[in-house]
Amino acid sequence: MLGYYVRMAWKSFQRTPGLTLLMTVGIGLGISACIVTLTVYHAMSGNPIWWKNNVLYAVTMDPWGSSRRAHVSRVPQQLTYRDATYLYGSDIPKEKALLTLLVGAVTGTPGQSRPLPLFTRGTTAGFFRMFDVPFKYGGPWSAAADRGPEPVIVLSRRENEKLFGGIDSVGRTLLWNKHRFRVVGVLDHWDPQPRFYDLTPGGGGAFAKPARAFVPFKWGPTLHMWPGGHMACGNSSAGHTYRALLNSKCTWVGMWVDLPSASARRRFLALMSAYAAEQRSTGRFEGPLNTHLWKVSQWLRMHHVVSERSRLLVELAFALLTVCLINTVGILLAKFLRGAPIAGVRRALGATRRHIFMQHLLEAAALSGLGAALGLALGIAGLSAVRALYAHSNSAYGRLAHFDPLGIAWALGLAVVATLVAGVYPAWRCGRTPPALHLKSQ
Amino acid sequence: MFPMLSALRRNPIGAVLVALQIAITLAVLVNATAMVSRAVHKIEQPTGIDTRDTFELVIAALSKKFDVASAVEADLSYLRAQPDVAAATVTFGVPMTDDGSGMSVGRTPDGRGASVLSGVMPVDEDGLRTLGVRLIAGRNFRADEITTQSPAHPRQGTAEVIVTRSLAHALFPHGHALGGTVYVGGHTPLTIIGIARDFMGPTLGASPYDTVLMPQILTEYANYDLLVRARPGERAAVLRATKRHIGAAHQDAIILYAPTLSSARRQMNLGLRNTAVFLTVLTAIMLIFCSFGIFGLVTFNVASRTRQIGIRRAVGARRRDIVAQFMTENALVLLGGMALGSVLALALGQWLSDHDGIPRLDPWYLLAGVLLLGLVAQLAAWQPALRAARVAPSVATRTV
Repeated sequence: MLGYYVRMAWKSFQRTPGLTLLMTVGIGLGISACIVTLTVYHAMSGNPIWWKNNVLYAVTMDPWGSSRRAHVSRVPQQLTYRDATYLYGSDIPKEKALLTLLVGAVTGTPGQSRPLPLFTRGTTAGFFRMFDVPFKYGGPWSAAADRGPEPVIVLSRRENEKLFGGIDSVGRTLLWNKHRFRVVGVLDHWDPQPRFYDLTPGGGGAFAKPARAFVPFKWGPTLHMWPGGHMACGNSSAGHTYRALLNSKCTWVGMWVDLPSASARRRFLALMSAYAAEQRSTGRFEGPLNTHLWKVSQWLRMHHVVSERSRLLVELAFALLTVCLINTVGILLAKFLRGAPIAGVRRALGATRRHIFMQHLLEAAALSGLGAALGLALGIAGLSAVRALYAHSNSAYGRLAHFDPLGIAWALGLAVVATLVAGVYPAWRCGRTPPALHLKSQ
Repeated sequence: MFPMLSALRRNPIGAVLVALQIAITLAVLVNATAMVSRAVHKIEQPTGIDTRDTFELVIAALSKKFDVASAVEADLSYLRAQPDVAAATVTFGVPMTDDGSGMSVGRTPDGRGASVLSGVMPVDEDGLRTLGVRLIAGRNFRADEITTQSPAHPRQGTAEVIVTRSLAHALFPHGHALGGTVYVGGHTPLTIIGIARDFMGPTLGASPYDTVLMPQILTEYANYDLLVRARPGERAAVLRATKRHIGAAHQDAIILYAPTLSSARRQMNLGLRNTAVFLTVLTAIMLIFCSFGIFGLVTFNVASRTRQIGIRRAVGARRRDIVAQFMTENALVLLGGMALGSVLALALGQWLSDHDGIPRLDPWYLLAGVLLLGLVAQLAAWQPALRAARVAPSVATRTV
């Protein structure tokens, strides 16, 4: 029976090749627009470390009293050096990490003639454990290396390929800002999007690539390196010396903690409040106590990682698909009704309503299938067009527009929806053809 | 009037489907056009800077020993000696990018009272000349007003600033900005000595034109930026030569990157441009499919009513009566669709302005959209209607 339906559908397509093409292209265009926008939207709105959503927290506190005037999201994303080092001293969290960006340069690796700029993240060993960072060779540095600080460096996989040709470089040394550093680890591919742990614009934004190397946080202060990432000072000033910067109310240190239990969370929040209250009583902090712990999901939402524009584009793509589907409904209806005499004859010869319905639905499904295949192809082309439009830019659209199995799933899902929406009513109408009516005029 | 209404009654679903398509298309068309025209307007905003001939070098020191102050002096005297360099200055931050510093600028100390988040550009006396920005009022910085702040000689900040017209207007809505006192993220009173034409500084503030120029050479950041304007047409050559010279001159520093201001401008507008492209393509496809839908419906109606047309012709209807019948019928569907579409368009516009902070939809766009869509829709119905008119009266007599 199925073979017969397929043959009927094929014959019907052959009868009106123009209309068939029009419907296929319509469904295809609609589906491809949805694939392109949904792929990017999905990648932007994901929580890249969802499995730790209930234990990881970003730590914020407002040293300027800015919430007096504005919304809570005006609270700086980072902490001042003083506050960060104080909170880092607490042993309530299971893991904790400080984050900053340092502008480094590498010299002294095999075959290198000129210094190579290297955007380096200054952080603490907890960073790698907390964020489940995968290592290809070696591993994080020790707690002693954080305290020292010891001259140890972790390279990204790409950087290791560039500097050491991709070999296991653990134990090798290189000159980082003219100081000899020992490689203790090489990361495997690791590029969480959005880059939840650092959303600051000065750090490159939510969709920047991860840093290419990692050194212990303390190296920045030790070498008097001015923060190379985001710094926000409210209405205060950074001062003119490095010492003044460390004592200033400028925020440039990101902090994340792993608090596995509700009681740990309560105790850490209490510690933060007590500290902020003390700072206020000495006059260093202004305004209300404004200490917060943010889950990754809250953190991403609060900082509007998903731009309104990308959501709008998804909605418009669906509007296009809707118009194309309505179009298809109209054309199918007209086509099926024109073929009603044939259906009438078949009814008269003993086909049931269900048979007629199923046969027409199969025709619609075949059309949607063709449309979905075309949509997949156009979607892949569209995604590479998006990449081309955003070439050489840090924009999320360019970085995230990669075709993945998700695209296929979207296409299949939308094809099913398209069949149901576009095919059911015309097929049902056709199934209700009374057998006698069309026999008369034959 | 009768034949049209009866036809609509006979195939209501087809008419409703086309009306729905028209409604959705109108709603999207109107709002997308408004959004695209806003994007184009923003892309075409003047930068106020000579972007064609200007580039910047972002230089970072690699060690504590590197003396930024003397490096800046050496670099500037090298650049100013080059015949193809029109002007050069030292600053911090790249115009038209988020790279730079932003501060609250207000008329009261320490950010009490109203303030404007503005881009802050430290420059020396050649800053305005390098940017290619003219003064509207007041004067430029004098060489002796430029302070060099280094860790070795921490000095109190400057006393004078130059602000853009836009910032002057925001701070002093009633005029008299020249000579006024402002505070740039602190409690040191600063005097406005000049008002510059609007130009785009580091785009950290609410408006890219809100920029304040400070007579400073910042040397404590271990980073400094050289802003260079080449003679017309010589930028590429000057950029190459400068990179080579600076790479060789400083052993303890590296050039992090060297953006041209035209590329900075392109980057700034990239998102807007691509959204505009995407919206245009999407709307065009929608419009094309909508006209296909109309074409299909009218064709279907004509084909399924050939006999009715024949009878009307046989009893005296002229060809143009038949054309008018189908065009009017289409216009009725169109009217229904547009009425629904106008409501949808306004609702969508309202929703967008509530959720995305886009300004409310200008009704003129709706009017233009209605006219355009009406024209396209009637054109789509034209050909099948003509075909209907060609039906011979004898058809009526054939299969009775």
